[in-house]
Amino acid sequence: MNRHDLIVIGAGPSGLSAAIEAAHAGMDVVVFDENARPGGQLFKQIHKFFGSKEHHAKVRGFRIGDELLKEADAAGVRVELDSSVLGLYPDREVVVRHGDEVFHAKGDAVLVATGASENTLGFPGWTLPGVIGAGAAQTMMNLHGVRPGDRVLMLGSGNVGLVVGFQLLQAGCEVVGVVDAAPRVGGYGVHAAKLARCGVPFHLSHTIVSAEGTDHVTGVTIGEVDKSWQIVPGTEKHFDVDTICVAVGLSPMSQLLDMAGCDMVDDPRRGGLVPVCDESGATSVAGIFASGDVSGIEEASSAMIEGRISGAAIADYLGYLEHEGETRRVGELEGSLDALRQGMFAPKNRGTVPERTEEGCPVSMNLLEHGFLSDDEVLAYPGVTHAKGVHAVIECSQNIPCNPCQDACRKGCISIGENITSLPVVVGDAACVACGMCVASCPGQAIFLVDEGAGDGFATVTLPYEFLPVPTAGTRGRGLSRSGEEICDAVVESVRCVSAFDHTNLLTMRVPEDCAMRARFFRPSPADADEEAVS
Amino acid sequence: MTDTRTEGVEALGGTADVIVVGAGVIGCATAYNLALRGRSVVVLERDESIGNGGSSRNGGGVRQSGRDARELPLAMYAVEHLWPSLSEELGADVEYVKKGNLRLGKTEHHLEVLQGLAKTGREHGLDMRMLSTDEVRELNPFLSDEVIGASWCPTDGHANPLRTTLAFYRRARALGVRFVTGVDVLGVRTVRGRARQVVTSVGVFEGDEIVLAAGLGTRRLAASVGIDVPMRGLLIEALVTEAEPRMFPQMLGTADADFYGHQTAHGSFVFGGDSGLEESNGYAGGVPTASITAPAICRSIMKYVPRLADAKIVRTWAGWEDECADGVPVISTVDEVPGLTLACAFTGHGFGISPIVGRLVAELCCGEKTTLDVTAFRYDRFRAWA
Amino acid sequence: MSDEAVRMTTNGASRSFSPAPLDRSRGLGDFVPAPDDDVLVCRCEEVTKGDIRRAVHDGMYTMTEVRRYLRVGMGLCQGQSCTKLVRRIMAAELGVSPAALDAETSRAPMRPVEMRVLGNEEAAGGADAR
Repeated sequence: MNRHDLIVIGAGPSGLSAAIEAAHAGMDVVVFDENARPGGQLFKQIHKFFGSKEHHAKVRGFRIGDELLKEADAAGVRVELDSSVLGLYPDREVVVRHGDEVFHAKGDAVLVATGASENTLGFPGWTLPGVIGAGAAQTMMNLHGVRPGDRVLMLGSGNVGLVVGFQLLQAGCEVVGVVDAAPRVGGYGVHAAKLARCGVPFHLSHTIVSAEGTDHVTGVTIGEVDKSWQIVPGTEKHFDVDTICVAVGLSPMSQLLDMAGCDMVDDPRRGGLVPVCDESGATSVAGIFASGDVSGIEEASSAMIEGRISGAAIADYLGYLEHEGETRRVGELEGSLDALRQGMFAPKNRGTVPERTEEGCPVSMNLLEHGFLSDDEVLAYPGVTHAKGVHAVIECSQNIPCNPCQDACRKGCISIGENITSLPVVVGDAACVACGMCVASCPGQAIFLVDEGAGDGFATVTLPYEFLPVPTAGTRGRGLSRSGEEICDAVVESVRCVSAFDHTNLLTMRVPEDCAMRARFFRPSPADADEEAVS
Repeated sequence: MTDTRTEGVEALGGTADVIVVGAGVIGCATAYNLALRGRSVVVLERDESIGNGGSSRNGGGVRQSGRDARELPLAMYAVEHLWPSLSEELGADVEYVKKGNLRLGKTEHHLEVLQGLAKTGREHGLDMRMLSTDEVRELNPFLSDEVIGASWCPTDGHANPLRTTLAFYRRARALGVRFVTGVDVLGVRTVRGRARQVVTSVGVFEGDEIVLAAGLGTRRLAASVGIDVPMRGLLIEALVTEAEPRMFPQMLGTADADFYGHQTAHGSFVFGGDSGLEESNGYAGGVPTASITAPAICRSIMKYVPRLADAKIVRTWAGWEDECADGVPVISTVDEVPGLTLACAFTGHGFGISPIVGRLVAELCCGEKTTLDVTAFRYDRFRAWA
Repeated sequence: MSDEAVRMTTNGASRSFSPAPLDRSRGLGDFVPAPDDDVLVCRCEEVTKGDIRRAVHDGMYTMTEVRRYLRVGMGLCQGQSCTKLVRRIMAAELGVSPAALDAETSRAPMRPVEMRVLGNEEAAGGADAR
């Protein structure tokens, strides 16, 4: 039977990170993945990541995937694709299916990094074709270039629902609304804001009553829920849709750990049945480790660091790393992981809503209940200031670990500081040169360049624009408010597509002066849109 | 939120006419038969689920052929009188199919073994004979060319052991039997020389009669009143496929005994078997499967039924057979411990005779003349070989 | 057969091996039909919410029992889609928290595999040789 120092099950961000770390320590590592392509969920993530530079902030998920694969390759990690692990046994043996045969392999250590699967919700009509998981929709669009449908309702306002909702818009679908039984948006406010300003309404405290259709979805009815999750009669709303995306959480795919005899615990805060492990991912079975979503649902950034921590711990466990070296390395990594687990959405703060930010600014209930900041609320945040000439307006109102905007500005206009959950401050006396790097670097697309008095009663607003077709200068259209309402006429002055912006186009539109602090999205007029298509 | 299941749990303990330890198919069938006789019954089960031992892990065979001569009368009675109407009696479909049992042979030696089995069967009144290659294939066109003959018992069959066990449980519960799961039974205690008390982690249950039907666990409990049942655990594994188009209704087995199984009402195939290395497989406890067993079972099956090569296996599991020293169960009152009845050590073939065993144990408890003679299953039959 | 170890208890409900004693005679009251009883829960085996609720009233108080009684979670996806839903329905019927119900034992194979593939164990060495 083939023996390896380390067998990793799952070539997603956590598994690959662990493999790289272990390989750097000199271990023989093989990674088995059942898919035809490695990278787990990373390659579906077309949006820019949060965090700080060490967390690959502002880099699109799939590029992080590319980087990881290159690093794994350079480190001598073997990744075996189309290799499905059918069983894991307490003595660290795995049975792997590859093609038409199975083989047995043994690891001195085994790391399970199999990730998670999507939950379902059993509303009437849920088995109709057209009801799909948000993750499945993401795979269809971003890996296979297939639109899941034309008119979509998104159920679930956590980050998955919000991010995929936006990607549905980018793919050319109409998103009729985002629905959540909870009274508040579950994911980042900036993700919600991206959707709201495109005109997507939020229906919080609502759930799906039923999906209609005979052999596929043709419509959906939602209704408001009371405190006991019962539908309030008379609140039903109907939408004609052909697709219902369900984003109601993930469950760890921990079955291999369970069958190997690891102590397991059903922890709703981690998404379901997870192994009992210590901070290095060591389970109760000697030599079997777990990292990433399988040990508790979080996100790709933390999964990667957890993977590295496990890799280092395994290297220490097998004598490939001196203990002090390992302790130092793990210490660094834990610091990095800890930096991600701070702020309003930290695992430890789940379920609570602060009244004020760390700085003492009011947390916007409008954002949490409707998906957008109101006009007067926006001024409460240190990133939103009035100034003469072009200046950055940063509509960032929640403490989340994220600081690429600070690094992006060479003129020192933006300050966050040591604590990366701090809200960005637009520094009063710094001189903005309108390079646009901050706008492009913000993973939340929450930064705008505004010239409140551009002349002749007009203002200019430069916004991040990630839709096709990219409008050209002179295109006429309408300016949309944060809530997606058309509030004024707008004309495109320029659109900058520079490689340094990494596909975030910077669209500058001219709007009436009084809309400088209100217009935050551009919608081309139909006539002009046709001209775009033709030219 | 109040847990309606455990309200009043502190009040556990109590009395009944009969205390049954073990809620597998034997315990549940016994409880059902006792309830029919108007007895109050408490069934105590260690696991949190009913029937989570051998009752839910076996291959579902309801066969007479191949049994020890001592067991044959029980199997024949059950097949003739009890199985055909069991679904109706219990008000649940136990998926009983009576379409025969084919035991397959590939070599001359196999055929000799099978002839021996057929002869024993016939000597005890069982309709069983050998089939030629052509006859076998007429009955079951899916068998490989390697099969050169088979023994055939047309009155054998199969059923769903999961459903059967739960059906006995459901009916017994509806008749007023009190089932308590999640209870660690520590031992049996006599009062004035009579077995009366079952001591558990949550209280003492007292009854005029005590039945121990706890599989391998019976040994420890019987030992608490000085009785030994010579049995040991034997690991065996099973696998189940996806639903396949309807192929054949017979129960299959082999002269080599390398696998046995059938196609269920659902369309899936359930097969049991082993790798031959079970005795040396190391286990920390529980009932885990080994990595080499299911592959071995597959290779055995494919040699006999090539069409199943493309059937997809969706799950494997393992179970402990409670193997008795002489291969047949202990179904017996205990002279030296009045009030105690043992029903255990079924050696992997308890399911097929469970309906009659349930009745026999109830009769023993109630002091009635037993439907069949159970002398051969006495607890004190074990003798040294010299 | 050795005694199984008692599992550790941490946050959330532990899957203890020595489970809480449960008296099955304690009834749940009459079965009251609900308007959504015909909604499919296990779509691989076509089991409805009403089937599951009725099973609980028949005495099936654990996930294991309901699975063996109705075949929920025994189909193609082996419970990946429906297990959480079944758990919630059972928990509501029993008046307990979903985490208090038993978890399924995980078994090989993790994915359906043809007999001819599972039986085709490659000899030592082969594709994975170093």
